[in-house]
Formats: sequence, C-alpha cells, structure tokens
Amino acid sequence: MQRSNEFPFEFDRERQQQRQAEIALKNKRMGINLFQISWIMAFVCLSVVNLVMRGNAPSWPPPGTPPLDPVLPTIATLGLIASMVLARRAFLAIQTDKLSAFLVQWRAVLGLGALFVAVMIYEWITLTPTLDGPPNQFNTIFRLMTAFHSLHAIAIGVYLIWVLRRAAQGVYRHADFWDIEAGSKLWYFVVIAWLLFYAVLYII
Amino acid sequence: MASISVPLGGVGATTAPRPKLSEYLRWSVDHKIIGVQYIATSLFFFIIGGALAMLIRAELLTPAQDFMVDGAAYNTLFTMHGTIMIFLWIVPVLAGFGNYFVPLMLGAKDMAFPWLNAFAFWLIPPAGLLMLLGWFIGPAEAGWTSYPPLSTHFSPDGQTLWAISLHLLGVASILGGINFIVTIRNMRPEGMKYFQMPLFIWAVLAQSVIVVLATPFLAGALTLLILDRVAGTAFFTPSQGGDVLLWQNIFWFYSHPAVYIMVLPAFGMISEILSVHARKPVFGYRMIALSSMAIALVGFTVWAHHMFTSLQPELRIPFMITSMIIAVPTGIKVFSWLGTIYGGRIRWTSAMLFAMGFISMFVIGGITGVMVASVPVDIHLHDTYFVVSHFHFVLYGGTVFGVYGALYHWWPKITGRMMDENLGKIHFALTYLSFLGTFFPQHLVGMQGMPRRVAEYAPEFQAMNIIISISGFVLGVSTFLILYNMVWSLYRGKIAGSNPWRALTLEWMTTSPPPPYNFVGDPIPFEDPYGYGTEASREYLKAMDERFVAPMLNPALRKRPDAQLPAPNPSAGD
Repeated sequence: MQRSNEFPFEFDRERQQQRQAEIALKNKRMGINLFQISWIMAFVCLSVVNLVMRGNAPSWPPPGTPPLDPVLPTIATLGLIASMVLARRAFLAIQTDKLSAFLVQWRAVLGLGALFVAVMIYEWITLTPTLDGPPNQFNTIFRLMTAFHSLHAIAIGVYLIWVLRRAAQGVYRHADFWDIEAGSKLWYFVVIAWLLFYAVLYII
Repeated sequence: MASISVPLGGVGATTAPRPKLSEYLRWSVDHKIIGVQYIATSLFFFIIGGALAMLIRAELLTPAQDFMVDGAAYNTLFTMHGTIMIFLWIVPVLAGFGNYFVPLMLGAKDMAFPWLNAFAFWLIPPAGLLMLLGWFIGPAEAGWTSYPPLSTHFSPDGQTLWAISLHLLGVASILGGINFIVTIRNMRPEGMKYFQMPLFIWAVLAQSVIVVLATPFLAGALTLLILDRVAGTAFFTPSQGGDVLLWQNIFWFYSHPAVYIMVLPAFGMISEILSVHARKPVFGYRMIALSSMAIALVGFTVWAHHMFTSLQPELRIPFMITSMIIAVPTGIKVFSWLGTIYGGRIRWTSAMLFAMGFISMFVIGGITGVMVASVPVDIHLHDTYFVVSHFHFVLYGGTVFGVYGALYHWWPKITGRMMDENLGKIHFALTYLSFLGTFFPQHLVGMQGMPRRVAEYAPEFQAMNIIISISGFVLGVSTFLILYNMVWSLYRGKIAGSNPWRALTLEWMTTSPPPPYNFVGDPIPFEDPYGYGTEASREYLKAMDERFVAPMLNPALRKRPDAQLPAPNPSAGD
C-alpha cells in the first residue's frame, strides 16, 4: 500500500511483461525480414556485376573457356529447394511439439545443405585454373559468386547445427521456437539467394 | 517576437541527474548513451576532417604548390577530408540524434534491438581508427569516390584499409537502419498513428529505407575493390576485361541515395525546430512526411547523373529527368517550411536561426543541384569547383546547419542545461557569413573553369581563392564556439527544465536528461505533434507536466519504476 501511495501509476507487471514479450517477438521477426531484404541486395549487386561484365565481353564465356556444365549444380539446386521445404516442415513440426519429426527433417536440411556446398566447392575447384595467366573474368565472377554464397550457406548451416543440438536437448517447445524460426528463415534466404545466382550463372 | 534564453514560464526549473562520464566511455545498451557516443565520436572526426579542410585551404592560398610539393599529399588531404566528413561525421552524427530521440519521440523505453544498437556504434571507432591508420602505411589518395584505376593501381595500401573501414561503417549503418525501421514500426505508443508521428521520425524512417536497400550495394563494390587490390582480380581493369564504369555505377547507386541518407534527417530536424520556435503547426505535414519517402524512392533512380561525362549519350536524358524530378518533393518541403514560419510568433533562438540559415543555404544548394542535373550544364561544370560548392551548400549549409540547429534545440534535453544563447547567435552569424564567403565564390571560380582536386591553379583565380581560404579559416574557428558552448553549458548553463521550448512532442514529456527508462509509464501523445497555439495544447502540456514529469523529479519515484522492470530494456528483442 505504501508503494501505491507514493507511486501515482498502476503497474500490472504480468500484463506488461506479456506485452513486452509480444513486442520483442514482433521486433525479432521484422528485424530478420528486413535483414533478408537488405542483404539480398548484396547478391543482387554481384548479379548485376556478372551481367555487366557479360555485356562488356565480346563473347561469354571468353574464347577458350568452356561453358559451365549445369547438370551437377542443377541437381544440387533441386536438393537445396527440397531442403527449404523440409525446413518449413520442420518449423511447423516444432510448433505442434513433434520433436522427433523436427529432428529428422532438420537433419535432412543440414544433409542437403552440406551436399550442395560440397557440389559447389567441387565446381569451384574444377573450374579451369587461371593462376598462371591474366584473370579470366568469367571464372573470376563465377568463383566470387559461388564462394560468396557458400560462405553464407556455411555460416547459416553452423547456426542450424547449433539449433539442432539445442532442439535435441529439448529446449524448444510449441511456445518457444524463435531460434528455429530464425534458422528456417535464414535458410530460405540461402535458397533464394542461390536461385538468383543460379539464374544468372546457368540460365540467362 | 521574443528571444528565449531561459526556461519558459510554466516549467519548473528543476534538474535531473546526468549519467556519469564513465558511462559514455563503455559499452551500454541505453539508446541515449549510445546517441551521445555517436554524437561525441562524430564531433571528434568533424574536427579532424575540418583540420584537413584548413590544410587544403592553406595550400590553395597561392596558385603554386607551397607546402605540399608532393601532389600525392594533396590527394590524400581531400580524400581523407571527404571520406571522414561523410562517413565519420555526417552519417554518424545523424545516427546519434536518431538514436537519442526516435525512442523518446515514440514514448518508447529503448530501441527495438538495444544490443545490436550498441554493437553498431562500436563498429565505428575501429573503422575510424583503420581509416586513420592508413596514413602510416601510405594513405588513400583516390578521392572519396575512389574511382579505379586511381584506387586500384595508383593508391598505396591505405586504400585497402579505407575500403575495409567503409565496409565496417556500412555494416553499422545497415544494423542501425534495420533497428530504426523496426522501432518506428513496432514501438509507437498506442494512439500514435503514422501520420501523427513527428516529422523527424518520418525522416529517419525514409533514411533507414535507403540505408537498408542501398548500403549492401556499397558492400558489393567494396568487396570487388578489395579483391582487385589484394587478390589479383581485375574487375575494374579494362586491359584485362574489367570495367572502370562498373565501379562508378555501383558506387553511385549507393552514394547518390547516400546524399539523402545525409540530408533527410536534417530535413526532419528543421521541421521540428521551425514549428516549435515559430509556435505554429507544420504547414503541409502529410506532404512533408510523404515527400521524405518520395525522395527516398526517387533517389534510387538518379545515380548516373554523376556520370554524365562517361555515360552513354542515350542514357543521359532519362537520368536528367529523374534527377530534376527529385526537386519536386524537395521543393514541397521548402515551401511547407516557409508556410510553417509564415505568420508565426518566431522566437529568434540559435536553433531557429540555424534552421532559417538551413533553408536559405539549402535552397541555393538545391538550385545548383538542378543546374548540374542538366546534361549540358553538367558537362561544362563537371569536376570544377562549382560541384564542390554545390555539395557543400547541401551538406554543410544543409545538413551541418541542421545539426547545429538540432544541437541548440535538443541540447537542453540531453544535458538538462541551456547553451548560452548569445554565444549561439555569434556562432550562427560567424558560421553563416564565413560559410557564404567560403563556398559561394566557388560557384564563380568553378564556372570559370577552376578544376577541383588539384593543388595548383591558374593565377587569375588567386584573389577569389584568398577570400575563400580566409573565410574557410573563420568557418573553422567558428566551430569551436559551439564546442565551447556545449562544454560551458554543462557546468554553467542555466537549468533547462523538462520542456524549455514548450514543445508538444514526447521527448519533452520527461525530465532533462531523461532517466534510464525514459518515461514513467507510457506517455500519451498529443493528437497533433505540432498543434501549437491552441487551448488544447496548453492544457496538454500542463497535464503532462503534472502527471509525468513532476513525479519523475522525486528521486525515490524516479528509481522505482525502473526497479520493477525485469531487464535493461523490457522491449528488447535481443
């Protein structure tokens, strides 16, 4: 009573905390969406660079440089798209407390992601070496784009592994799954960014 | 008309405790501490950048190379001056004001992501340090635009540090931009609709949209530049299949919108100051708010006007048209500001003087902007002192005048003390006159063909350059008046009270300085943040003073609500 006499405002602490938690979650969701919108522009930038370089070149790829073989990257891309679907399903599973289903699908996401990165590393390494001659713009921009994307895939993959370990420990429930939501959204980002690059590198 | 240098009637001349100096020197997630950290850090770099400008003007006192016999040293001077002023002074100081005042104006306890906010700030000191360290390994000397091949083949290793430093500053900007957008979208108080937000918040929102969308492009360009410098790639080397125009396109796709990053918040500051000190509602509130967004969007379509001399001829006209179109929303602002002060009961405070000065200078900068948006004029004036004059009228006559006005306006809220108004007016007079003396003649020598970025010039330009340099020195010295005033006010300034200007926006509905949690409870916004001159506004101010501010001056009560809350920032998302 003494406190309410001194203090002129009523504080419903529980209600306030609940409201703050709601706002915090809303902030996180919007924050990660904005981050995705923002950072995809870096990928757009590299895509534009590729297109400009291609437009400037008399022929693309340059004479003597074999064109990219799309078969293996296309298979890897399909795997990546499948991983996005699985990430979504895993995210839905944890919301209904289906932990085992979540773990299976999340591991599949990681497996497909690892496979994709492995394929891209292979593509990166087996591209015609240019170390002994002048830079080959075709190879340089290919290497830059794929390396840039793979670094993102690896970094976000590490985060997904951390989420997997915590999920296996039973940390997440239907009422508390922000890390998983963030992980799945970041993985969507990896997939969409790659689809942009794939279109530029292999389709256009 | 009245001159105000003491707290206005109706506000108790009481003070609230200030944070200790040590709190500003360490990691803090309090947006107000971070805001002051931004402002103080940027002021430090402002002095460094200003000192470099003084050296440039000293060199240009005579047509010959005097104390900079090595042309590369002069290149370094203008490179570092431009880079520091843009990326380490203007951008961070505006972020500082945004950090301090956006949550307060929204009635929020903090930014949406306080930890991220602190992290973004703490990227700036190392970035600045890297930039300065370049001096010891061969500084950057390709201009702030760093066009290849100057930046790839003819600049020493400091250019690489320059690029890394800008990378860090870009990351800080992006994180800050995301934080502002989320804060503005999600943390408005109940009852505050978008078109009831203060115009400074609209300006920060528009600025943040640009930051979030454009800055990653700069990151891409910087990555390519670094790879060209250290990894043997040749993205910008034509002899090996690269393209120097590629850099220009990507760089300006960021850097022209960046001009609006650097000026939009100043527009917001001016809108606040004019309305409060003219005691009149903002004329055309919605048009000012929406014109900020229009500038942000149209700003993405004008970048190639910086490249008229190197652009394919068929692309010049479209970019000329879009560049001229952007004068429309800008003109809407100017006419709205004039409508706001027209017929007002103007208080000729230092803040108001700088706001008025802003309008006059910015109009000149805007008109010359339309001139150089015109292809034939631009081709004639390209790379002359006319361009130097144009962007200094925009960024100094515009943004820096806006920042000075904002400092005089909001300093009482930040510190609880008033700056000396007489000294402020002397500062304004000196700044205004010396600014004109420094930059207006540059139009003339530019039109006569004096090139920029060259330490030597034709002897016929010397008389004008002497005037420019002497004015520049006065301008440099005048800066110390406000710095002195700020420090003086901390110890000797009159106590400001919570709302010395009798303003209606929420940052004034708490003590000066505000407590760590800003407000006791949730403050109630007035229906019109600029509804001055009405009985309802007077009653609102009285009620807010009694209900919100007065209890917070009781030390026991001031601490109580904080102790009840669970975390440093209860609405923190991270």
